[in-house]
Amino acid sequence: MRSKHEAFEFHATFSQLDEGLDVLHRSLERLRQATGRPSDDRPLLLFETALGEIGGNVLTHGRPSGTVRPVEYALRFEGGVVEASLTDSGAAVHEHLGRDMPAAEHESGRGLAIARSLLDELGYERDGEVNRWRLVKRL
Amino acid sequence: MSLDVQTHQADNGATVVAPTGRLDVAGAPALKDAISEAVKTGPARIVLDMEGVSFVDSTGLGSVISALKQIRNGQGELRLAAPNQQVRVVLELTTLDRVFPYYATVEEALTGL
Repeated sequence: MRSKHEAFEFHATFSQLDEGLDVLHRSLERLRQATGRPSDDRPLLLFETALGEIGGNVLTHGRPSGTVRPVEYALRFEGGVVEASLTDSGAAVHEHLGRDMPAAEHESGRGLAIARSLLDELGYERDGEVNRWRLVKRL
Repeated sequence: MSLDVQTHQADNGATVVAPTGRLDVAGAPALKDAISEAVKTGPARIVLDMEGVSFVDSTGLGSVISALKQIRNGQGELRLAAPNQQVRVVLELTTLDRVFPYYATVEEALTGL
């Protein structure tokens, strides 16, 4: 049995929606296995939900037509804290960051509000021509 | 992993729509297509069997809201059955559990529909 606090690291780059989402979920499955957590571990499940939201956003809005630069992804776990980073070359998205949860009848606009509420920290910065996302949660 | 959606008629004539896989930004269009097909023939009584859905995101949830609107506009009814823990968390977090009261099993959802 591996220690709960053993360090874990995963890196990948991807360009396509299906491929990218598969990689994100697979990386968390590896983290689950590496830390001996059950498949229904709630903190990790909440982190995966937030990562799915930000990852889906990055892979749809962060990959403008004609872009050749892949999305860069890293997942780290150390000292009981999991951190994911995603870098994409899409347009700046800061105007959406403070959005509240929409009313029930709305079909879209919930992604960032969901991610923000499930994480200890959701970081975003525009760095030159790229967006850098940072997702942090203590498990 | 794309979303696979199977549809069948239950004994009481209601339609059971059963997606399998991740109901996310990549899988949501497949569910929308299946619901559009199911409501073509008139007022629809539909159970959305979520047992095979491993993960839902806000876009996937949006496709369920879209289905609910479409079905209610046609005087039909949509019920959600057997959501897993992750789906329940997202429904509760977004307070959509008040809009989609869910049933533990497909059989329960079909009762009285």
